[in-house]
Amino acid sequence: MTAVPWSGPGRRRGAGTLKVALAAARDESRVPERELVLSSGLMVVALLVAWVLLQALVLGGLSYDRAQDRLYAELRADLAEGTAPTGGVIAPGRPVALFSLPAFDVEQVVVEGTSAGLLLDGPGHRRDTVLPGQAGVSVVYGRSSTFGRPFRMMIGDAVGSRLDVVTGQGRATYRIEGVRRAGDSVPAPPAEGQGRLTLITATGQGRLGSLRPDEVVYVDASLQSKAFPAGGARVNTIGTSEQKMARDTSVLPLLALTLGGLLGAVVAMLVARRRMRPALVWTVFTPVLLALVWFAGDLSMHLVPNLV
Amino acid sequence: MRWRKAVAAVAVAVVGTSVLTTGGVQAEGDDVGAFQQTRTIERVFDEGGEQRVVDTRDFTVRVDHTQNLRGRERVRISWEGAHPTGGRSTSPFGENGLDQEYPVVVLQCRGRDGKQPRPALELRPETCWTSTVQQRSMLQVPDAAAIWRSDRFADEDERGALSGIDELPSSCGGTIDGFSSHVTPFVSAATKAEVGKTYASCSSDTLPPEAAVDAAFPPAEQAAYSSKDGAGDIQFEVRSDVENESLGCNQETACSIVVIPIMGISCQQSDSRQLNAACRKEGRFEPGSSNFDGQGVDETVSSRYWWSESNWRNRVSVPIAFGPSPDVCSVLDDRKPVGFYGSELMVQATLQWAPDYCGRRDRFRFQHNVLPDLASFELMQKDEIPAAFVSSAKEVEGAAPTAYAPTAVTGFAVSFVVDEPGNAGERTTLRLDARLLAKLLTQSYPASDMGRGHPGMGSNPLSITADPEFQALNPGLDTAPQETAAVLMSLSESSDVIRGLTTYIRQDPEAWAFVSGRPDPWGMVVNPSYEAIALPVDEWPLQDDFRPTVTQKCLEANNDTPYLTRLAAPVTSFSKIADALLDAWPLAQTKCNGLGTDQFPYALGRADRQGVGARFLLGVTTLGDAERFGLRTASLQTTRVLDDEQDFTATGRTFVAPTRETLAKAVAVATPGRRGEPFALEDGAVRKAGGYPGTLVVYTTAKTAGLDRATARTVASFIRIATTEGQRPGSGNGYLPKGFLPLTRTGSTAPLFAAAQRAASDIEGQTGATGGTDGSGGGDGLGGGAPVDTGAAAAPDPDAAAAKQPVDEQLTSLASTESTTSAFAAWFLPLLVLLLLGSAVAGPWIRVRAARTEQP
Repeated sequence: MTAVPWSGPGRRRGAGTLKVALAAARDESRVPERELVLSSGLMVVALLVAWVLLQALVLGGLSYDRAQDRLYAELRADLAEGTAPTGGVIAPGRPVALFSLPAFDVEQVVVEGTSAGLLLDGPGHRRDTVLPGQAGVSVVYGRSSTFGRPFRMMIGDAVGSRLDVVTGQGRATYRIEGVRRAGDSVPAPPAEGQGRLTLITATGQGRLGSLRPDEVVYVDASLQSKAFPAGGARVNTIGTSEQKMARDTSVLPLLALTLGGLLGAVVAMLVARRRMRPALVWTVFTPVLLALVWFAGDLSMHLVPNLV
Repeated sequence: MRWRKAVAAVAVAVVGTSVLTTGGVQAEGDDVGAFQQTRTIERVFDEGGEQRVVDTRDFTVRVDHTQNLRGRERVRISWEGAHPTGGRSTSPFGENGLDQEYPVVVLQCRGRDGKQPRPALELRPETCWTSTVQQRSMLQVPDAAAIWRSDRFADEDERGALSGIDELPSSCGGTIDGFSSHVTPFVSAATKAEVGKTYASCSSDTLPPEAAVDAAFPPAEQAAYSSKDGAGDIQFEVRSDVENESLGCNQETACSIVVIPIMGISCQQSDSRQLNAACRKEGRFEPGSSNFDGQGVDETVSSRYWWSESNWRNRVSVPIAFGPSPDVCSVLDDRKPVGFYGSELMVQATLQWAPDYCGRRDRFRFQHNVLPDLASFELMQKDEIPAAFVSSAKEVEGAAPTAYAPTAVTGFAVSFVVDEPGNAGERTTLRLDARLLAKLLTQSYPASDMGRGHPGMGSNPLSITADPEFQALNPGLDTAPQETAAVLMSLSESSDVIRGLTTYIRQDPEAWAFVSGRPDPWGMVVNPSYEAIALPVDEWPLQDDFRPTVTQKCLEANNDTPYLTRLAAPVTSFSKIADALLDAWPLAQTKCNGLGTDQFPYALGRADRQGVGARFLLGVTTLGDAERFGLRTASLQTTRVLDDEQDFTATGRTFVAPTRETLAKAVAVATPGRRGEPFALEDGAVRKAGGYPGTLVVYTTAKTAGLDRATARTVASFIRIATTEGQRPGSGNGYLPKGFLPLTRTGSTAPLFAAAQRAASDIEGQTGATGGTDGSGGGDGLGGGAPVDTGAAAAPDPDAAAAKQPVDEQLTSLASTESTTSAFAAWFLPLLVLLLLGSAVAGPWIRVRAARTEQP
């Protein structure tokens, strides 16, 4: 690969002035104060937004995978010990089932609870329904666009395929019957001793549909294997933050504290810069800042509707 | 690949139409594809190198309709010229029909006869559906009895020791010297994902899944009997891919009904004398005789060998075409459906209408959700749905002005499945009067010895079959009491049908006297729990509270529900009653299950299916369902001349069956109300005019004030389309099915038609004047008679109407999925991206521009 000279002989005149302007802009003293602040402010905003997007769409996937690994290990231990939950009131966040789609080679650990924060770790089982595999209708929420986007494939390709579920009661097999949108008729309640699993996620339509998952869709799967008996009384009401498309505003105080901490860290860094070598300052403060920013980003995802 | 498909489709269409035009009869309106074909059938023996025709007949098959069939629809097949059947079994269905001589086998098969563009589209025994192994396979039969190997029309392979399959699966036993086996595998329909799968069908685990022992649907294939003059007449139920995925018949996959008159195997000369004799047998039963105890028959003339070339070549294959599947609209149309709620009477009509809306961009996506009449009317008044289907005037407190647009003339039927005694087939007509219906509804038959202890009706006949009144109207039926013949299968929900039925009882002097407590001429009295019940009602109450004294443990454990209530077991929809009649499966919850342990506690389940030959079931259905599924409908008494109760006979009494003529007679006496109000259909006037007492008019109701313009237009356009295009009789998309009387501009339905048009313009214009109510609920802004520019093409805005879905959680779960959207979810990602792009571009840009202007 040959390096093309940055300023060749055939360049237009306008490009010459641009080069001069760029050079001038690099020199802070040649830019007026007001524009300098405005420009830097906008760049900070751009950086922050870029971070949020990065975390929602890319880094969230990493944290999702890590959470799934942790949950898988936890569920595995529970299953081995025979302590995996089979009913009753289960602590939110505890792994309750393992979904696997053999056709897609996908495995997902389902956690108990459907608030936005819990759904960052994996699909969430709605607490007032029976567990997957049991007789009756079981409801599981999952994100479609951020944090590992676990339910993205459920909407389209997975229809007709098999869904295996492992819970503390054993292995159950579902067949994914179809996708249901607003206005489609609701299937009749399952007969005595039959089970159904309804997967709920969000999707968008039209142009930029994948960027705008604003509509709730339902994916129904019917239980093919024998239903397990429903064990123990479930929670009979759930909070508003566990409903479809709900946001969890209970994190606001924690988010405020984290942002305060972030501010404090930045101030401390500026102070430290006067006394220490830059390399030392960066070495000390980068992990602290990164951790705080990451944590703040995670918390702010609680404020985004839980199915997105 | 696409051109191949197109060529195939054209070829199928050409073959299909040529078959139809040679045999078809053009019906008025849409072509329902009536079919008729005659062919010569024969049985031939080879004797000493010569052919001897031992039997030859001209066999004619007629089918009443073959187009746009839906799952479980029954078509009427009749024939003449077949060999008379001997040794008739009681049930012709599935394997029960095997032990008969000279039956006519009727099967549903995938594919069409004749040369097809692809071999997979051809009709073969392997694509014909049967439910059991015995109908397809002969396993390890001694060579001397393997008569199919003597078939002179079969090719060499078919005459081998093992035919139909290369190797027997292990579950079907092996091949043994001196024994022969034949297998007719079943090839399932190819799907998008995979080619058709071959099921060896020689043991229970090599059968297709739908042929399981406790399959959801009983066998539909028949080995029907021909009478002594060689004629036969049956109702044949077709299955779509919804009921039978392996067979896989649907709108795209062509199928046929194959009618095989069994003539016996045409035999070649074989070396074995024993085989020659077995093959040449001509039956040991007299024509017309019955084979109640399943004695052996001469197999060569039985339906066991329908697949042998001798029989298969005599077939008449009837091409059938399925209509669009019920969910066609959700596939074709991604717009939001506009939900019209209400009467189940409309279901068969809206099933055919809906595809005519969703397939067209200039119309909206129409959807009919069944809901009790009154509930849907209330939802409509609350602005939660655009329009409701009801069959009578509704009173709701604070109702806004509402217009009733007559949309369909149909009604209810008392459908039945009743067998003649002595294996003489099915009863086709039944006469009922209002008092018999009253006896059934009021649970005045004690049903069994358990009910005998019921206070106040100990001497009543146990069931309607034992009732002298029923016997006088329907002579010749079995008079032994039957538990399930003590009740009428009916609806548990509120419905205008129940109102119509109870009005009929209330208006009949004999029936009303009985309900009020007067015994009938034979001393039967009304169940005291229902005595003097106020009629008519919208919802039939379950008032009986009699719990018999029982000794059986299982009954003891479940004695909380009154016995007669368990027997009546009303259901939530008429379609369930129609299914129960199709399967002859009573709804009664009287069968004991369980062991009495903690794990399997005693429970009462649904009674067993009734055996063919001893069926007796009565149920209320819609006329649309009755026609679609080919159910027999009872004639109801309208008038009586004699008043002599001493000598109760059918003479002097008039009974009217539901037909288009009697529906027309009934609506001819309907008196119009004021503009926009429903017609008054007086039971007495209908009876005098000879009209069918179960006639009901279904109205589309919508508010004429306070409705937004788009919704108003949508409803008006529906009424106009439904009362014009929608009234052409036929089975295709947009046509009116059987069981409905078309509304026309002229004739007896003209006033209804005119009223519908007036109502449509009242709704569209939101004139809000109807009914003369104070109008406090309506007239907000859009009311006030703002004229709509009707000049513009009425392209209704479906979104506004579609937005009118009920929000009540409980109600939606009955019908359609609620819509949940989030504006936040819709915009936060795009906004973040825009913000990122904006600030990332603007920041440097501001800085560069400032630096530039600072430049000298």
